[in-house]
Amino acid sequence: MTRLVRALLAVLVLIASARVAHAHEVRPGFLELRETGPDTYSFLWKKPSGGEIEIYIAPIIPKECRLATSGQQQLTPGALVVRGTLRCEGGIQGKTVAIDGLESTITDVIIRVHHADGRLESHLLKPVNPSVTLGAQTTGWQRSRAYLRLGIEHILLGIDHLLFVLGLLLIVGDRWMLVKTITSFTIAHSITLAIATLGYASAPIAPLNASIALSILFLGPEIVRRWRGQTSFTIRHPWVVAFAFGLLHGFGFASGLTTMGLPQAEIPLALLLFNVGVEIGQIFFVVMIVLLERAFRTLEIRWPRLVEAMPGYAVGSLGAYWTIQRTLLMLGGLR
Amino acid sequence: MRFSVAIASRRRGLALGVLACALLPSPAEAHLVTTGLGPIYDGISHVLMSPDDLVPVLAMALLAGLNGPVAGRRTLFALTGAWLVGGMAGFLVGQTLVPSTITTASFLVIGGLTAADRRMSPTVVTALAVVVGLLHGWLNGAGIAVSQREALGLAGIVSAIFVLVAVASAFVVSLRIGWMRIAVRVVGSWVAAIGLLMLGWSLRG
Repeated sequence: MTRLVRALLAVLVLIASARVAHAHEVRPGFLELRETGPDTYSFLWKKPSGGEIEIYIAPIIPKECRLATSGQQQLTPGALVVRGTLRCEGGIQGKTVAIDGLESTITDVIIRVHHADGRLESHLLKPVNPSVTLGAQTTGWQRSRAYLRLGIEHILLGIDHLLFVLGLLLIVGDRWMLVKTITSFTIAHSITLAIATLGYASAPIAPLNASIALSILFLGPEIVRRWRGQTSFTIRHPWVVAFAFGLLHGFGFASGLTTMGLPQAEIPLALLLFNVGVEIGQIFFVVMIVLLERAFRTLEIRWPRLVEAMPGYAVGSLGAYWTIQRTLLMLGGLR
Repeated sequence: MRFSVAIASRRRGLALGVLACALLPSPAEAHLVTTGLGPIYDGISHVLMSPDDLVPVLAMALLAGLNGPVAGRRTLFALTGAWLVGGMAGFLVGQTLVPSTITTASFLVIGGLTAADRRMSPTVVTALAVVVGLLHGWLNGAGIAVSQREALGLAGIVSAIFVLVAVASAFVVSLRIGWMRIAVRVVGSWVAAIGLLMLGWSLRG
């Protein structure tokens, strides 16, 4: 009977979280204009592609400008790339660039303009603000803020990463082990985030996403084992598992930066601030869960056993759902 | 000496007045903030960035916390549940039938009761939480419908309220030092004072 109720609960959790589980594209798009001559700019557009869903965004160039492309789109791992030459009568100063379709997504687009006089202009377009008038001086602080924001958004929208962290929180026994486990996850994903962003290694998106889902599914039975008072290697040493899977998640975080193909000089700043943003989001999430757990104890809330089990079932069910969905997507892509 | 006290009191009055002006409800305040991160985060941001919802929620949590863990526990579920029900009803009806001065009343009543720190039965505190949740929830739900936003924003609003009330009321329950309890009452008196100024402002037209 209990098994039946648990099975029903798992199905309920799955249905209730179907909306959460719905895939979103969170990797940003990238538009670069580099002044190569009077009123002439080289044009580079990178649209995130090859993820779980395809988004349809495209730059709308100013009316006074003419874009000449080779007509060919290049499909690189993770992005669709368009190159060309943009000619603007009187330069690009004061002209407005917009991103068509951005308002119906939850992703951002970074626009970067390299002026001939050495000025670097950078803007972060968001769904609520999908256009910008070019020509304003961009300070280093503004560029830094954009990367920091990208990092925070990447973790807050990356429900799979947060669910993995929740799974770890449900396994760890004491405060010291919590610190050890979260630190180990942070170090691991920072290593692979750096390796991937610096271009030393990369992971194809489809198998990577399936593996990340598998890491969440892996935690489901471990949580159940812990409830039953049983033990396992993961329960005894959650920091080792956090480190091992953290390496995978780091490649996932890196997709938020590598799609853009950052200029070499900008990589250290972008890597540092994006990672800091990810950590801010992650720490906020962990602190919130710890505070909530403490608040429930102070308020003497005694949850029914089924409700108490719900976070664990959410981790296991969604992990299973994503593993199946992403594996099918991967296999579909192989055909 | 008396002169400096008068100046300080006038400054405090001015500060409260400015704060009250900022908090005066307008139709736009019922709308969701647009974060670009989807309706759930829009809902969470709405609570955190709209003083006309945030202040009564925090004041309600403080009041519940002052009345012990039972009141805190019941308020947590009553306020969030009522907010959700009121929000869904407001969304379905799609009209702000509740007068916007309800915010003023919330500030006055909850702030006043927190400042007074009179021991109340958990049932009374819970009933108050239900009323506050239903009315504010209705305003939120109707605002979402009027601005043609996704109803899922309500889930974000309710989640944020759940976390805020749980953490704030548990914090007050755990206070053991006498002066900290007085500090909570002072916060309540500020909320009531803002409500009073808002009332005066609306009566003046």
